[in-house]
Amino acid sequence: MPVGYSIYVERPSYIHRRLDPRTKLAALVAVFVLALAFNHPAVLGGLVLLVLLIGRLAQVGWRSMAPFLAGSVWFIVLGVVIWPLYVRSGSALFAIGGQTITVDGLLFGLAMGLRVALMVTAAGVWMMTTSPQKLTVGLLHLGLPYKAGVAMTAAIRFVPLLNAERATIAEAQQARALNLRKGNPFARAIKSVAIIGPLFIRAIDVAQGLAIAMDARAFGVRDGRTSIVELQLTRADRAVLLVLLGASLVAIALRLLGIGLITRDYL
Amino acid sequence: MRATASDHARPQPALSQGERVLDARASIEVSELVFRYTPSGSDVLRGISLRIEAGEFVALIGQNGAGKTTLAKHFNGLLKPTSGSIRVMGRDTRTVPVADMARTVGYVYQNPDHQIFAQRVRAEAAFGPRNLGLSPAEVERRVDAALELVGLQEHADDFAFSLGRGQRQKLAVASVLAMEPRVLVIDEPTTGLDQAGARGILELLSRWNAEGRTIIAITHDMALVAERIPRTIVVSDGLILADGATRVVLSDAPLLRQAFLRPPQVTRVAQQLSEFGIRPDTLTVTELLAQIREQEAIA
Repeated sequence: MPVGYSIYVERPSYIHRRLDPRTKLAALVAVFVLALAFNHPAVLGGLVLLVLLIGRLAQVGWRSMAPFLAGSVWFIVLGVVIWPLYVRSGSALFAIGGQTITVDGLLFGLAMGLRVALMVTAAGVWMMTTSPQKLTVGLLHLGLPYKAGVAMTAAIRFVPLLNAERATIAEAQQARALNLRKGNPFARAIKSVAIIGPLFIRAIDVAQGLAIAMDARAFGVRDGRTSIVELQLTRADRAVLLVLLGASLVAIALRLLGIGLITRDYL
Repeated sequence: MRATASDHARPQPALSQGERVLDARASIEVSELVFRYTPSGSDVLRGISLRIEAGEFVALIGQNGAGKTTLAKHFNGLLKPTSGSIRVMGRDTRTVPVADMARTVGYVYQNPDHQIFAQRVRAEAAFGPRNLGLSPAEVERRVDAALELVGLQEHADDFAFSLGRGQRQKLAVASVLAMEPRVLVIDEPTTGLDQAGARGILELLSRWNAEGRTIIAITHDMALVAERIPRTIVVSDGLILADGATRVVLSDAPLLRQAFLRPPQVTRVAQQLSEFGIRPDTLTVTELLAQIREQEAIA
């Protein structure tokens, strides 16, 4: 679909073409439930692999998914550094600065990093496989007021537009000898006012223009709206939804039983 | 007299070959410039060579998407050549950061709202000079001079965003003029302005040019080019289709047609009247009127 700008990429996969956007949204929610239910790195790592596999099944390239994993590396590093200071259970590994670092602490830190990686990657794959239009229609079917739906689509639509505006403004200010690379972070932050200021005003300008153009075309006159995209939950959708529901319930049950956890002290 | 396309295929600098080698006054020298935005994309500029001397006033014309702005953005180094080279005041733009280049080349963007951010008019105009690291006294002198030049001195302490469109355009120009660059590139200086506003800007550019500064204006306004700008470069599909005296270029209808442009309206009228002894390279209403009066006197 040519309209709508996001990281969505059209691919002739079953997940792209046939699966209902509501089902895909449910899948994302289920992955989040699973991510929060377990805190063992092996389980979470396995789930990350599963998400990557689903991405491959939807013909999403490794290259498109890699940035999400790469972005999560920091969280893994942070988790491994910080969590051992809090999680003291398990066998001691070594002591540093009066703090005993345990195996559990390290594993839990790794798990927290992987949890972020899992959520971020799942959200990435979800966005790459769900067209914004269909998602909006899906949400409308779920009871979202259609004005809110339009606002959501418009917001996604405006990201690249505002990004282009930002680039133009940055060029215009560079041409006035603004050097954003020079100076300390504080000085640079102050300098960026020269870009954020005009960008803010342009954003309001663009939004106002859109509002007027939509009013001029009688937006909001009717309560309901029709859509070119017709959604139908198929038998496959129902099966997938059932599996997702089952997996979520099992995960919650395992959590209560204490299976797949490093510690019960933390989420 | 009609010039053909081949007459304009190459740039025609005012100086002879011998002088060119010795002359160091050239503001901008472009040689075999090729540019594409992405490595796999198509060439937006397909081999442009031209030379603009110090103190020239040049119009860049061409239809939308011809490559005018892309070419102009090379003049201050915002874009770097994919191949070929461009030298501004003798410096290769590839080796100089844009913020440094801004000292020499001022660039006024099409939409003033892409640059105005300060609360007051004076502060907005002072942004560029301050970035150049000038003393407060010098900044103030330049700001006053620039605001005076564009006729905004009375509004110096007004809110920048409360100005009208034409005045904001003038402020954008002033804020670049205050940096006193030797070369000024101005993209669509008259878009969104009424006839009086457009004339005001062009007049001010002429005055600035009279001080010996180089001006390159990208524009669609043929009438203003005809009236004010001595040299015209026609860009078409990433190439220079014509480069020469405005009178020669703008009166060449077949050539302009290739670039999907038309001569100014008064020139087209004059060309229809050529059988009555009106010169086909008439560029302005004043010129046409003078010729008609002459014919009348003879009759």
